[in-house]
Amino acid sequence: MSPEALSPSTWMSRHLSRRSLLRTGSAAAVGLGLGTAASGCGFDSGGSASQKTGDEPIEMKIDGDLVYFNWADFVDPAVFAGFEKEYDVKVVQSNFDSMEGMVAKLNAGNKYDIIFPTAKWAERLVQGNRLRRIDHSQLRNADAVFGHYDYFADPWYDQGSRHTVPFTMYKTGIGWRKDKIGDDLSGSWDDLWLSRAKGRVFVLDDRDEVLGMAALKRGLDVSTSDSDDLSEITSTLRSLRPHLRGFSSNSYNNLLTGNAAMTQAWSGDMAAMLNEAKDPSKFGFEIAKEGAPLNSDCYAIPSNAPHPGTAMLFIDYLLRPENVRKNIEYIGYPMPVKGSEDTYSALVEPFPSCVVSADELKDDLYFHNGDKQAERARDAAWTRVKAS
Amino acid sequence: MATQNTAEPAPPGLGEESGRLPEDGAADAAGGPRGNRSPGRPARSSASAGGNRLWTVLMLPGTLWMTAFLIGSLVLVATLALGTTDPLGNPRFGFRLENFSALAEPAYLEVMLRSLGYALLTCVICLLIAYPVAYTIALHGGRFKTLLIALIVVPFFANYLVRMYGWSVVLSDDGPLLQGLRAIGLASDGTKILQTGTSVVAGLVYGFIVFMIIPLYAALERMDVALIEAGRDLYGGPLRTFFHVTLPATRQGAAAGCVLVFLPAMGDFVSAQLLGGPDQIMIGNLIQDKFFQGQNWPLGSALTMLLLAVLFLGMLGYLRRARKDEAEALR
Repeated sequence: MSPEALSPSTWMSRHLSRRSLLRTGSAAAVGLGLGTAASGCGFDSGGSASQKTGDEPIEMKIDGDLVYFNWADFVDPAVFAGFEKEYDVKVVQSNFDSMEGMVAKLNAGNKYDIIFPTAKWAERLVQGNRLRRIDHSQLRNADAVFGHYDYFADPWYDQGSRHTVPFTMYKTGIGWRKDKIGDDLSGSWDDLWLSRAKGRVFVLDDRDEVLGMAALKRGLDVSTSDSDDLSEITSTLRSLRPHLRGFSSNSYNNLLTGNAAMTQAWSGDMAAMLNEAKDPSKFGFEIAKEGAPLNSDCYAIPSNAPHPGTAMLFIDYLLRPENVRKNIEYIGYPMPVKGSEDTYSALVEPFPSCVVSADELKDDLYFHNGDKQAERARDAAWTRVKAS
Repeated sequence: MATQNTAEPAPPGLGEESGRLPEDGAADAAGGPRGNRSPGRPARSSASAGGNRLWTVLMLPGTLWMTAFLIGSLVLVATLALGTTDPLGNPRFGFRLENFSALAEPAYLEVMLRSLGYALLTCVICLLIAYPVAYTIALHGGRFKTLLIALIVVPFFANYLVRMYGWSVVLSDDGPLLQGLRAIGLASDGTKILQTGTSVVAGLVYGFIVFMIIPLYAALERMDVALIEAGRDLYGGPLRTFFHVTLPATRQGAAAGCVLVFLPAMGDFVSAQLLGGPDQIMIGNLIQDKFFQGQNWPLGSALTMLLLAVLFLGMLGYLRRARKDEAEALR
C-alpha cells in the first residue's frame, strides 16, 4: 500500500478506528491503486475463466515464513512474537486499507498466505474460487468456534465454512453524547431524527449502512435493491437530511471532538472510543430495536498461497484461548470463540450493546452481495441520498 | 506587453543587460525559456544543430515518462469508462455507453456546478491573499527572500491529508479554537466552523495557495523594478503605478497560478470530506465513492472523464489567453 494511504493511520494512535480512518486515507491511494488493479482488469468476455483449484487438503505443518495481509494493527504484536518463537518462523506483514484494495492486490497476482475478508467479500472470493479449503478438524480449538457459535458452521457467505474461519464481529448502532442530548434515547433508529440533536447528527459514509438503516426503520430488507423499496428509502433519508451535519465514518472522533451529538456508529469503534475518552460516562451507545446491521470477517487462505501449512498453524495459534483474549483486548472487537465472552464484556462494560451474542447472528441482518443490476440500483440511490 | 518589451531587441539571457543587478540577471536567465519561446530571435536560431540534437536526447526520458505514466493512465481511464465490472467487482473493459448515460442523473450536475463554484472562489481568494505575500517577499524580502519562500513551501512537504485531518480536529466544536472563542464570549454554543461551505473553501485555499504564491513570486521577482520607478517618475501614484505597471507585468504569473490552483481544487475531495458536510460534497467525493465503496470503477472513470472535459475547457481558455499575450508581447 502506498505511504500516502498509511500515513494518517500511523499518525493517529492505533486505537483509532481502522475502518473509518483508513477509508479516508485510502482515497489518497486512488492514483496508485489504478496501476495495481489495472493488471487485474480483463476484457469483458462474458463468464470469467476461473480454474477450479484449492480443493486438496492443506497439510498443517510449517512450510515457510508466513506472509500475512490484514488491516493495520489488527493482531496483538505479542501474539506475532509468540507465534514466531514457538514455530521458529518469521511473519512477513503487510496491510490493506480497504476490502477493495485487498482484492486489487490479490488480482494483481500478489501472493499471501492469510487474508481477512469481511463476509461479503468472502462470498465473492469463494464464488471466484480464490480460496483454499480449510479442514476444521485439523484446528484444535475449532469446536469453541463452530460448536458454540453454530451460525458459523454454515454461514451464508461460505457454505459449511469450507474456506473460512470467522475472526471478529460487529454491529451498527447509534452513539451519542449524553452531556449534549441526555442520558436516554428511545432505542430506535428514529432517534437520529430527534429534534434536540438536529444539525449535529452524522451517519456513516457508507452506502450499505445508510441505506440499510433506513430500510430497517421502514421494515425492509437491509440489502434490498427493489426500486420501490429504494425510493421509499431515499425519501426517508431525504427527511433526515436537514438533521445531518455530515456523512462520516469517523464516528469515534466526531463524538470525541463534539462535532456529533449523535452518530451512526460501528460497535468496535465505540469500544475503541471507550479507551480514549477521558470521561466515558459522557458517551452512550445503543442498538436499535428495529434491528442492527451485523457484520463479521474471517480468516482465509488464498488459492495461490505459497505457505498454506504455516497459515493453518497460524489460524490454529490465533484460536488458542489466551491469544483470543489478547487480541480482543488489543483491537476491541468481539470474536466468536467460546470462553472469550467475559473478556469482551469486561472491556465494553459501559456499552453492553457492543456484545454480539450467538443468538443475534442472523443472515438477514448482514449486507449481502447483489447482482450487477442490484448493485447499480443501490449505487444510484446512494448517489441521490448523498448528493442532493 | 510591458515586461518582454523592455528587454530591448538584443537577445536576452546572454548577460548583456549590464544595467541590472546580478541577481536580477540570474532570475531573468531562469525565466529565459518562457520569454524565448517566440520565433524570430536571431541568436537562438543560429544555435548549433548539435545543440538541438542534444536537447532532443535530453527530452527523451521526460517524454517517455509522461507517455507511460500520464498518457498511458489517461488512456486506461478513458477506455475503462466504456467498460463494466465482473461479479467480484473487478473492472472489465468493454464497449458500452451505459456509464455515460448514468451521468444524466441530476445529482451529478448539481455537484459539478458546486465544485466549479468552490474552485473559482478558491482561485479568487488565493489570488487576493497570495499577491501581497508574493509582492512583499519579492520586492521587500531583501536577503531573506529565499528563507521566506522556504518557510511557505516547507509545511507543504507534510502530507495534505494529514494536515487537513489536523485542521478538522482543531476546528471541531469542542476543539481548542472554539473552546477559546467561547471562553472569551466570541462564540456561542451553537457556533460551528466545520461542515460549512466556508470551511471547505478555506480548506481548499489553505491546501493550494502555495501554487499561487510561487508563480506570482517568480513573476514579481523577474519584473524590472525600474519599471515601477519609471511609473513614479511619470507622476503615477502608488495605486496607478500598481494597476498600470505592476499588475499587467505579472498577469501571466497570476494566470499560471490560477490554473495551478483551479485544477487541483476542482478535483479535490479531502477538504469536502474532512471539513464539509452533506451539502458541501464535491465531484471528487463522488468519484472516490465510485472507486471505493461502489466498486464501480467504470462509472468512476466516466465521471473522471466528465471532470477532465470541464477542466480541459478551462485550460483551453487559459491557453488562448496566453497565446494572445505572447502575440502582444511580440508586437
